Amino acid sequence: MLLLDSLTRAELRRRLRRGELVLRTGPFATRIRSDIAAVADGMACIYGAHSVEPPDSFADFQVNLLRSTGWRRWFRPQVRFDHDGDAPFTPLPLAQAFPMLEWVMNWCVSNHAHSYLIVHAAVVEKQGCAVILPAPPGSGKSTLCAALAMRGWRLLSDELALVRCSDGLLIPLVRPVSLKNASIDVMRAFAPESRFSTPVGGTIKGIVGHLRPMEDSVARAHEPARAAWVVFPRFEAGAATSLAPVSKTDTFMRLIDNAFNYPTLGQQGFEVLAGLVDGCEGADFVYSRLDEAIAVFDGLAEGTS
Amino acid sequence: MWQLTPGQSLVARQWDEDLVVYNALSGATHRLGLGAAVLLGVLEDGPASEATLAVALQTEFSLDDGEVDAELPAMLDRLSRLELIQPCSCSTA
Repeated sequence: MLLLDSLTRAELRRRLRRGELVLRTGPFATRIRSDIAAVADGMACIYGAHSVEPPDSFADFQVNLLRSTGWRRWFRPQVRFDHDGDAPFTPLPLAQAFPMLEWVMNWCVSNHAHSYLIVHAAVVEKQGCAVILPAPPGSGKSTLCAALAMRGWRLLSDELALVRCSDGLLIPLVRPVSLKNASIDVMRAFAPESRFSTPVGGTIKGIVGHLRPMEDSVARAHEPARAAWVVFPRFEAGAATSLAPVSKTDTFMRLIDNAFNYPTLGQQGFEVLAGLVDGCEGADFVYSRLDEAIAVFDGLAEGTS
Repeated sequence: MWQLTPGQSLVARQWDEDLVVYNALSGATHRLGLGAAVLLGVLEDGPASEATLAVALQTEFSLDDGEVDAELPAMLDRLSRLELIQPCSCSTA
């Protein structure tokens, strides 16, 4: 197994230029083609522990991130994305090329991987206790997820919880944790050893930085987990840490709101989600202090919270 | 008389006092009470009159006539608006 870290920067750029970089993330192989240096730099920084497949191997997704052509490239360069020839998004400023790679990889999975129920949620696991963290943007989900990952929890995913339809297990999709704005400095202070891609400003989400996942989480990306908790996190400045139970019905209905392909899966989606909720406890979680939040989650893993 | 909306396939899960129903025909998911579960259960066996449905509620929840009379019309109206059931002119076998 070849790790991306083992490629020289020149080899990485060459493979990207030729569309020969096939990145393995969990169950998916993505062929990435790009002529943009920031994409190669971002990948080298963030995906070093991920494996790369042989250049001619099968890929589930084909992602092209290329500089826009035409007169515009001289005064306002852009990056455009296409997937197997389709261009579902408008081009973005060239500086946003690496964040765009992350977004389009999420898009590929959430729009195509329908052998999974896909929930907009982070997933972490410790001592066999897997916790799903569904939440809308701005809830503090990714900050909490990153903090847990830096304190001994295994990261399964920051954005897309994959529930395998055939058995209800959570399948890891270990990719960088996307942090925005003040959360980047919060995490740098909380975990000085953390490694980030170069933060990029001016995006639709503000300043975006990607945290490199822990090597142990990447190495264990083939290990599924069974969900034990669904915790809906909410950061509230100055709030006391609190964990309050949520009924199974409310947990179910709120998960529907966060599931990308629940309508697509139809009855199968209902049954997979119901099976998931059957095996989980649900809770609302409010926090303002990361150390206290981690203590509560450690209690979940130990069965004491 | 009432009947389940023809052509639909319902699957459901009960947690505590709630019933969550998925209608494969419409693709909609509904959160209902246990009273609705009783009504849908009766109608699953075939069309039924309001009197039959009232008896089923009384039996299941030990309600008196007044309580059933107060609750049943609203329950039928809600299930009808969700297109899970509909009036019919059919008669029971």
